[in-house]
Amino acid sequence: MKAYKFFFIITFALGIFSCTKDFVDINKDPNAITADQASAKYFLTVPQYKLYAPDNYPYWRAMLIHADRFSGYFTFGDNYSWWDDELGYKYDVAYTDATWDFYDGYFGQLDNFLKLTKPGGDFENKYMYAVGQIMKGLYYQMFTETFGEIPYSQAGDPNIILPAYDTQKDIYKGIIADLNTAMTTIGDATVTGEAIQDLGSNDLYCGGDLQKWKRLANTLKLRIAMRAYGVPGDDFAAAAISQALAAPLLSTDADNVLMVKDNTISKWNSDSYAGAWLDYGGFNSGGGWTVSQPMVDYLRKYNDPRLTKFVKPAMGGTFSFTKPATGSDNVLWPKRVAFLVKTLTDAGADFTKTGDENTATEITITMAANKNFLGKPIRTNGFVQPLMRREFFSTPTDYFVVAKGSSAPIYPEIVLTTAEAYFLKAEAIVRGISGATGDADAAFKEGIKKSMKMWGCTDESIATYLAASEIANITTGSTDQKLEKIAVQRWINSYTEGFEGWAVVRKSGYPSTLANGVVDPDIYGLGDISGKYPERMIYGSSAKSKNGANLNIAIGRQGPDAMDTKLWFSKP
Amino acid sequence: MAQHLVSGIVASESDGLGIPGVTITEKGTTRGALTDVNGKYSIKVSSGKSLLVFSFVGMKSVTEQVNDRATIDVKLAAETVGLNEVVVTALGLSREKKSLGYAVSEVAGENLTTVKDLNVVNSLAGRVAGVVITQGTFGPGSSSRVVIRGNNSLTGNNQPLYVVDGIPVDNSGYGSASSSDAGEYSKSDYGSGVSDINPDDIESVSVLKGPNAAALYGSRAANGVVLITSKKGKLNKGLGVSYTGNYTFESPMLLPKFQDVYGQGTQGNTPPALDDLRNEGGSWGAKMDGSSKMYWNGTTKAYSPQPNNVKDFFQTASTQIHTLAMEGGNTASTFRFSYTNTSADAIVPGTKLTRHNFNLRATTNLTDKLNIDTKVTYFLQDGKNRPTMGTEGMMAYLYPIPRNTVISDLRDFQNPADYKVKSYTNGSVGNPYWFAYHDKNIDSRTRFQGFAKATYTFTSELMAFIRVGTDMVNEKIETVNQYGHWFYPSGYLSYSMDKTSETNIDALIMYKKKINDKINFDVNAGVNHMYNTYEQMKVTAENFKIPTSPTLQSAAKNSPEYTPLKEKIINSVYGSAIFSYNQFLYLEGSMRNDWSSTLPQSNWSYFYPSASASLLLNELIDFKAMNYAKVRVGWAKVGNDTDPYQLQNAFDLSSASDSYLGLTVLTRPSTRNNVNLLPEEVTSTELGGEFRFFNNRLYADFSYYDRKSKNLIMEVPIPASTGYSMEHTNVGEMQNKGFEIMVGFVPVDKPDFKWDVSVNFSTNKNKLNKLIEGVDQYVLSTTNSGAVEVVAKVGGGYGDIYASTYKTDAQGNKVVDAQGRFIVAPDKKFVGNYQPDWIGGMTNTITYKNYSLRFLVDARIGGKVYSGTDAGLDGAGVTVPTLQFRENGTVIDGVKEDGSKNTTNISAQQYWGSYSGVAENYIFDQTNIRLRELSLVYEFPKKLINKTFIKGASIGVVGRNLFFIYKKLENYDPEGSSSASNFAQGVLFYNMPTSRSLGFNFNVKF
Repeated sequence: MKAYKFFFIITFALGIFSCTKDFVDINKDPNAITADQASAKYFLTVPQYKLYAPDNYPYWRAMLIHADRFSGYFTFGDNYSWWDDELGYKYDVAYTDATWDFYDGYFGQLDNFLKLTKPGGDFENKYMYAVGQIMKGLYYQMFTETFGEIPYSQAGDPNIILPAYDTQKDIYKGIIADLNTAMTTIGDATVTGEAIQDLGSNDLYCGGDLQKWKRLANTLKLRIAMRAYGVPGDDFAAAAISQALAAPLLSTDADNVLMVKDNTISKWNSDSYAGAWLDYGGFNSGGGWTVSQPMVDYLRKYNDPRLTKFVKPAMGGTFSFTKPATGSDNVLWPKRVAFLVKTLTDAGADFTKTGDENTATEITITMAANKNFLGKPIRTNGFVQPLMRREFFSTPTDYFVVAKGSSAPIYPEIVLTTAEAYFLKAEAIVRGISGATGDADAAFKEGIKKSMKMWGCTDESIATYLAASEIANITTGSTDQKLEKIAVQRWINSYTEGFEGWAVVRKSGYPSTLANGVVDPDIYGLGDISGKYPERMIYGSSAKSKNGANLNIAIGRQGPDAMDTKLWFSKP
Repeated sequence: MAQHLVSGIVASESDGLGIPGVTITEKGTTRGALTDVNGKYSIKVSSGKSLLVFSFVGMKSVTEQVNDRATIDVKLAAETVGLNEVVVTALGLSREKKSLGYAVSEVAGENLTTVKDLNVVNSLAGRVAGVVITQGTFGPGSSSRVVIRGNNSLTGNNQPLYVVDGIPVDNSGYGSASSSDAGEYSKSDYGSGVSDINPDDIESVSVLKGPNAAALYGSRAANGVVLITSKKGKLNKGLGVSYTGNYTFESPMLLPKFQDVYGQGTQGNTPPALDDLRNEGGSWGAKMDGSSKMYWNGTTKAYSPQPNNVKDFFQTASTQIHTLAMEGGNTASTFRFSYTNTSADAIVPGTKLTRHNFNLRATTNLTDKLNIDTKVTYFLQDGKNRPTMGTEGMMAYLYPIPRNTVISDLRDFQNPADYKVKSYTNGSVGNPYWFAYHDKNIDSRTRFQGFAKATYTFTSELMAFIRVGTDMVNEKIETVNQYGHWFYPSGYLSYSMDKTSETNIDALIMYKKKINDKINFDVNAGVNHMYNTYEQMKVTAENFKIPTSPTLQSAAKNSPEYTPLKEKIINSVYGSAIFSYNQFLYLEGSMRNDWSSTLPQSNWSYFYPSASASLLLNELIDFKAMNYAKVRVGWAKVGNDTDPYQLQNAFDLSSASDSYLGLTVLTRPSTRNNVNLLPEEVTSTELGGEFRFFNNRLYADFSYYDRKSKNLIMEVPIPASTGYSMEHTNVGEMQNKGFEIMVGFVPVDKPDFKWDVSVNFSTNKNKLNKLIEGVDQYVLSTTNSGAVEVVAKVGGGYGDIYASTYKTDAQGNKVVDAQGRFIVAPDKKFVGNYQPDWIGGMTNTITYKNYSLRFLVDARIGGKVYSGTDAGLDGAGVTVPTLQFRENGTVIDGVKEDGSKNTTNISAQQYWGSYSGVAENYIFDQTNIRLRELSLVYEFPKKLINKTFIKGASIGVVGRNLFFIYKKLENYDPEGSSSASNFAQGVLFYNMPTSRSLGFNFNVKF
């Protein structure tokens, strides 16, 4: 064997095998889209719908379990529920983490839109960038009002892996600055551009109407400034309020910023209330819930035309209850039965009871069918749960629990309402804030009217309510009483938009039935906060594991990482 | 002096085949020759009286005096317990074990076939030190997790590379290690590559444990290599035909213990109204007294315990394996053909697995110099209704059934009026028979494997081969959740087709040089081209328009998904050199350079070397009792690449059905890719020794290793406020240190009676040294409740378990809530690591006349596991502990939040409801010792059959997983894994019970 033959073989082999000429090409994913193939408007839709109608997991765990229950819109803990109504008030790591991860994880898509449209971005467009800045305000307001301090100023900085946390005050100021910049950028422009540059139908909030975006921005600015107003250390709210009031706010019925729901898309992409209500088994199982006592009471007591829009009368029926065999449940049973009876009686329900809970081991309650409007008491504990028949209480109307795939009309997601603008204005006048002028009661009534219109009430029923209901009137009474009425209307108006409802309760202290919390552990689940109203949520596990040092600095400033630590904006 | 020419054939005594590469030397001279591929040789000797020495590794040397003969044919016999034992190492090269500077364990094929497991890798459990095998319990043929010397990678594949006759086997598969599907909800497993290999075709298995042994295999061998050598045909008088039959019967090895006192209900009452009763699925009702009571299906029935209701759901499974093999050959060619037919069912109803393995191997010498070796394997597998596990799997709806449930009542699983599932309670609760007889879970897999190899012997010193091998897998999986399903009320189906292929072309040149009597030199150099592809088509669909037609046509909505051909290439050049001095010192070095298409251009070429040495002390020291003593040391580095498409940052386009209001929607992935990825790097140092004493009656082997992997390529969780939740980058450093000991003893060694005991054990300590700045843990899995996290933590290990604990006050008293129940503390606490502290096995082989008895006991000591099943069942009131406090309730010994003593009496239902929410209570020790395998084989005596056409026959009784000798976790087999994935370890969620099998096998050769 000649040496040259080896040499030939080896070089031949090396030539074949170390060839790398196709490497770059085969390592490119043909399904991936690169910047040169796309347009910015396609990137807006996801951050829009994910903020208000995310997939089933956050919709259920962040929105329904926490925000919509803390806000007192819905309750769990009836006999069919998988959970008692203490859920959420007691720290639950999985549900809490889902909330944190939802907000924290949301940012990426918005950040992407901002980076693509900013000066020098792949799809630079100053109007689209302004839209992104306004969305950033909507997002950060909810995020900070849920947890308190969060990473804000360093968020999205490509050179920072561990962003610092900012105080709530700085975040509010930052949002207002962004909103101001965005409004200035928009100026008199009406669209973001021509053809592919026009957001158009990809803009789920305003359909590409830049002036509507501008009014949305201004109303959001007013809302945030009102949140900060009067808080010790506030040095910006008054100026922002008077600026906002001097500029156009959302004012007509058409101005309501509502997001149309896609009810055919998979719930694992974008969900609605029905995702939990129906798909977890329907009425006779763990899913489904009842509407809260405070909400139904306000609507029923004051003949609010929104009552039948929001809730159905209780199903009623005849039900027997057996005394538990052992433990404190056996001892406390008479007290708990009495609580149920009082709940039904206080609501004026048509029902009868046979048997005496103090002596018999079984009682029977019969309630008239489909007649009584009752809300379920909030925060009842698991021991009362067997008595809390779902049939005794009002459940949401079909409009809120339309099955996925059905073409029946379904509620839209609330982004920001025109009614809110009027209520904020009324509140600013009642508080006597400089720049806030005009008739507070007229603004208040206009707000109620806009709200009822939005929820589908007839003009006639609205007029009756406005004329007759004392809670629709702020011409008399103390400032506090007026503020209570405004707060209650803001709260009712935000039905289904729990994050806003919860923030209103914390800021105003109303409805006091919610804000006062619960006391008696025999009936209620006191949670980890001794029955107090939840002021915030505990940071997620990933905040601790991924960016613990910065988080600890924030906790040091803000107070213990507990649900009863009041946030900066809350009523002291 | 007249020269004398001698020629002849050197053949093996066992099969009569010529042996290539036998060294023939003339004693007292430097003259020598080697046999060619057919075992032929010729040598010129100095005289007709010369002495010729025929030697070959692994065989006893033979010395022949020429005595003026021109032809001398020699038969060489294998060395039994060998000083010159030969093992198969990297690249399939047979090497003398004494020359190796690293640990290699070999298991003979008969050990895998006597007591057969459908996944051959399970048969290595307890046999090879340092290998942790976690068996899947998805029924026959499910995949197993194999970790050699600890986990190297955080998120990547931690499983070894499987190589069959030099061709790597793709071991991926749905539910296998490379699948990230690790949800606890519902899981299925369809087996992986190694479970497709027919144990009957295996000649031997070598386990190359560390990068030292595997450096030549490149990237994927960083976790070790399992080398499988398959059988070749042998020379026979005529055609050799053999038949092997295995029949085994399986039953659950262990079921949870249930209470049989209280039935369905709540708070000690069994509600009389059907609706109320159905709302209470737990066994918290009244004492079962046999009285007539409302029953969950609406009838009234005797309220009596059903002690065997869970057990009666199971069935005795049977597995039949029939193998027919034919082989033959002449001096130039051999062939072997085998066909194996397997049919098996599982211990739960409705399951069926059938397999066909075809295997054809042929070798031929085309010329004196050219040998061709080819193999074709074809494998077909059909699985039907393989069980699903997890919190939404079959066991989740079986174990918690009320204790008064008659199991056959659940057999009526569907309401004919609305097609809805019928079960014992309301809500999203399934029925185990629905899985068995209604839902579909159908898989079929075909696998083609083959190679062609041409070996050319240039001279006695130089050989080369070129080989092309392919492994192609097509897999089809169809799952249907029927209309009326508890989570998919209108039905759901998924249909997927996967194609995976890998082709390797390699060439190797081998050069041997004897410099003089003392110094030998071996050099190998080779190249390899690997081409790997993956393609998938998948459709999911839901909402069947016709409820009884669960088809794609019937679905109102479907979403197709297509993964176009995904390619990966690795080109490599490698070489090794072995230097030996006077049969007592061996030095070896290797190097390899890979070019991987998955890495950026600047880093796609990476080089890694290894070096090792072994020294035979027995050649240096004269100590009579010591037959053999070797010390060895090795060092190696191995690089590792990643998957395709990890470099580019691009956007995702939502599919039509996933677009909000049908709009065109683009998103940015939440992972930031890195265009500057570096290859991963595993560095290993190994020390060891091998000893034999007293005529090989006592032998021992030990190894110590220290292995570090760094620049791990992984997706690091980063704060989402950066705009991304993951960063794909090189991070961290993980370390595994451990040792392995094997000690064997032959207490009796007589011609008719031999007893061999071999014991091995190993321990591994794993530590995550660093991750990235500011991030100190990587979460491998979190349970749905969030109560348990399995993490890799800096300073801790891979698989540290953190669990929720009781809230306590400063004095350590348990704090109870206002209602007197336990409170879960907000922070989870470290409760242990799931990896075992050490593992070991003991094999006893006793041969007496025609009987041979072998049993294997194996032990897994330490390691923790969270049993979500126990927690769930305690909450449902079906387990024995929940009998406590039923009649009088209890007061938890603790304090209220204000510090006062707790006095609130709570019922058993509340107690266990609250207790089961504290994950710490369900952390168990995995320690267990079991009789893994037992076989008793009787070989029919030759004199009995030598008048017939039968050449040999044996019959045996075999058993696997017979019983636990010791176990800490009461209700489950702690080793039964719900998935082979990295992400599903350390937690148990409604796994199927491990099965115990007993059977017999029959072998006959014609």
